[in-house]
Amino acid sequence: MDGDARGFRVALTADGYVNPAPGGFDGLAVLDAEGWGVMQLPAADYPAATRARILTDLAEQVLEFARHGYSIVLVGEDAAADEALAAAGLPAPPRACPQNADELRAFLAAAPAPDGIGPDAAAAASGPGR
Amino acid sequence: MTMGVAFVAHCLLNQNAKTDGGARCPGVYSPAVAVLRDAGWRIEQMPCPELAFTGLNRFWAVREQYDTPAHRRHCQRLAQNVADMIEVHVARGEDIVLIGIEGSPSMGVCITSSDPSRGGRPTWPDGAPELTSGEGIFIEELRRELERRGLGFPRVAGCTHPLASHDPLAELAGLTRVLHEGGLPAQSGPPDAER
Repeated sequence: MDGDARGFRVALTADGYVNPAPGGFDGLAVLDAEGWGVMQLPAADYPAATRARILTDLAEQVLEFARHGYSIVLVGEDAAADEALAAAGLPAPPRACPQNADELRAFLAAAPAPDGIGPDAAAAASGPGR
Repeated sequence: MTMGVAFVAHCLLNQNAKTDGGARCPGVYSPAVAVLRDAGWRIEQMPCPELAFTGLNRFWAVREQYDTPAHRRHCQRLAQNVADMIEVHVARGEDIVLIGIEGSPSMGVCITSSDPSRGGRPTWPDGAPELTSGEGIFIEELRRELERRGLGFPRVAGCTHPLASHDPLAELAGLTRVLHEGGLPAQSGPPDAER
């Protein structure tokens, strides 16, 4: 992947960390700084049927990342997301509900490294590289 | 205070979804995200139509290669989900903008890519004149779905980082301009290309 800066790390992220309440913990900023891509889970206030369809599609995309050895974690709680991932045949990813930036950083630091993506890709995945 | 809701192309939050060679940063394309958040916009991430259809090992492609009935059906299904979300926010009276990716065969909002002859062994030269005015396939299907529902089409802005002519300051200025235009979504047709 010459010239490609991807981090090979994907965080399924509950909406509250992407769109925090005023004064709330900004998870997106930490994920950005730590070099993780974000797949935003739909907010809980969308209709359940809409959420279910979105999560089914999202799980298919997660499956593609998993198939290629990307590191995948779940930030937040979402039972419907768990069901969609299981239905797609994905194992439950490492998960946490961090309350602050330090907790999220520690969780991300402990996450499994990307796997099976080749030595060049693994080197690129070792840091943000920006 | 939330100014409105910005529906953003998937790769603005997740550069891992890019075609090989296209990721500009490890994860979040923060210049665009910062503009949205600094201006008080809620972010909603749209799906990447190409990732689920042709996967991470896909080749760089132009519109014609994705313009098949099967891919259209795929985009229509995804667009219905996005339209469902947009409908919720429109019902709340919230302002909506759509942030796409210029030059993308799927997510272009003013500039897409076109080359009717492209196919076969992928040995095309860099700089092939593939950019053309228009929307990507997914954006077209989203427009149709929103119009079918009588919702109109949101204001749009496009991130230009995939383009050789990318000008970071111009990209951010374009985003900022669209965010501050205000008003309700009311486009009746595809926007004119900016270049």
